[in-house]
Amino acid sequence: MKDRNYTHSIQIDLNKCIGCSHCMRVCSTQAIRIVEGHALIQPERCIDCGECYRVCPQRAIYARDDGLKSVEKSGSRIALVPSVFIGQFSSEYSATQVLNAVKQLGFDEVFEVEHAVDFIKEVYKTLAVEDLPRPLISSYCPAVVRLIQVKYPSLTHNIVRLKAPHDIAAIYLRKSKKRESTQNSNIYIYYITPCAAKIVAALSPVGEDKSAIDGTINMTEVFNRTSAILIGEKNPGMHKTIANMSPDSVNWSLSGTEKKYFSGRSLAIDGIENVIQFLEKLESGHIKDIDFLEMRACDQGCAGGILCPGNRFLTVERLEQRQKRLEKLKSQNGGEVVNPLMDFSEVLLSYSGVDPVYPRDGLLLDDDIEKALIKLQRINRLQSYLPGFDCGACGAPGCRNLAEDIVKGKATISHCVFVQRIMEKNYKLSPDQAFIVIEKIWGKGRLNKL
Amino acid sequence: MKMQYFIQGGDFSAGGRASTEVKSIIKQFNISPDKIRRIAIALYEAEMNVVAHAFKGKMDVDLRPEYIRVVFLDEGPGIEDIDKAMEEGFSTASDEVRQMGFGAGMGLPNIKKNCDEMLLSSIPGKGTRLEIKVIF
Repeated sequence: MKDRNYTHSIQIDLNKCIGCSHCMRVCSTQAIRIVEGHALIQPERCIDCGECYRVCPQRAIYARDDGLKSVEKSGSRIALVPSVFIGQFSSEYSATQVLNAVKQLGFDEVFEVEHAVDFIKEVYKTLAVEDLPRPLISSYCPAVVRLIQVKYPSLTHNIVRLKAPHDIAAIYLRKSKKRESTQNSNIYIYYITPCAAKIVAALSPVGEDKSAIDGTINMTEVFNRTSAILIGEKNPGMHKTIANMSPDSVNWSLSGTEKKYFSGRSLAIDGIENVIQFLEKLESGHIKDIDFLEMRACDQGCAGGILCPGNRFLTVERLEQRQKRLEKLKSQNGGEVVNPLMDFSEVLLSYSGVDPVYPRDGLLLDDDIEKALIKLQRINRLQSYLPGFDCGACGAPGCRNLAEDIVKGKATISHCVFVQRIMEKNYKLSPDQAFIVIEKIWGKGRLNKL
Repeated sequence: MKMQYFIQGGDFSAGGRASTEVKSIIKQFNISPDKIRRIAIALYEAEMNVVAHAFKGKMDVDLRPEYIRVVFLDEGPGIEDIDKAMEEGFSTASDEVRQMGFGAGMGLPNIKKNCDEMLLSSIPGKGTRLEIKVIF
């Protein structure tokens, strides 16, 4: 069974893109090509990790979200705020103050996502003793889940079949509102997202039919609006008086907290290149006897999310301070945490699972093995003509990718500038023809610098 | 399609490179993920056997639409008692090799578990030939 749902958040603004190929070079799934002067993303390979977004010098790459403008004008509107958002602000503002400022942007209620982490910790206790494939891989980071679907198909069944905290928090909100309210007012839930992958996870979740989230809002947009409110704030000093979640739950999205909640040998790996290196070894059978893998596509976990405006290391430090404050509150209250979500843990348990995750066919040469084998032989033959420099002048990130594109009918061997020289020398290609080929890749008039 | 890889005995740091490459190739085919994993594990174990025990060896891959057949041929001490070598936990690996985390005696049984056909022959003092086949 294959997953052929290719919804994406990462988009390229063709009016801004100059086809400079910076994005193509950093893409970890080799999903980008340069065609007619613009970057083009292959939907079957893109995992929305956002590495391209980080390097784009033209700011032509953006994460498509629903935005604050999508927030309904009436009904019960709830903002789901992840803890990393609070970590974007200097410690002169308390968490309560920050959340209150978010509320003023047009919400009736604000709820911190990490409440749901307390629930997930409980689920992990039962997972650890179940007879499941090892190592189990955390389903937390949607970019990692999609990376596995595209590049490591044989590891898809190792992914924990559990919803992400923002989903569980949204389900809790719907269930609790239903229980407490007699009138049937509509509930709208908006997730303030630190990255593009989570936008996609909310739009078209893997292993679920429909997400409990109604819309996503770019964290940078909310940060700007919230900052304006906080600066004009006359009344600082609002603080929580009880710990409303277990203290280290606020660090769940970072690297190293989640793994502590899985007994046995567990590792925390952050940064997409590190994740890829590890999965490669795991898939090849080099690594054995590991029980759990916590993986985050971004360095420093969600603090390094592409839509987080603040510095990731400062964010980590602030969340650590926040954990300490919550610990203090907890001990003042006789070691007790009052998390309203946990009253619903039995209900949530029946909604927290997801269907198995299936691979995507981003790597497949052909559905038919016989045809794929013929294509593979052609690729190998083509590669022997290509220089192996991976210069990118053909509009593909490497020689191997060009060979694959040629076999798939998406490019020709004359796309290679080295092969062009040989062809010109042997009178197989005229300089004018070569020029046309280059313009087809890099755009018309691109070479007219004089 | 046929491919050949050279395996250097004793080069643990490079060990697994050849089998990883084959795994990357078969991932481009419409083969069930479970089979890809089985092939990857069987080839890695076999490659590491050559690295751990032999002086040098080669890995010949024959990839067909219906199956993959891989032959490992090495020059090395060979196997004295093949039946014994197939037992779980039996190993002749040196202490040095064991310290590196290999030589637990699970290699050959693990290969057998992960492939459809396995042929093992050896001439003590000369070398070993291992043939693995997985049907798609």
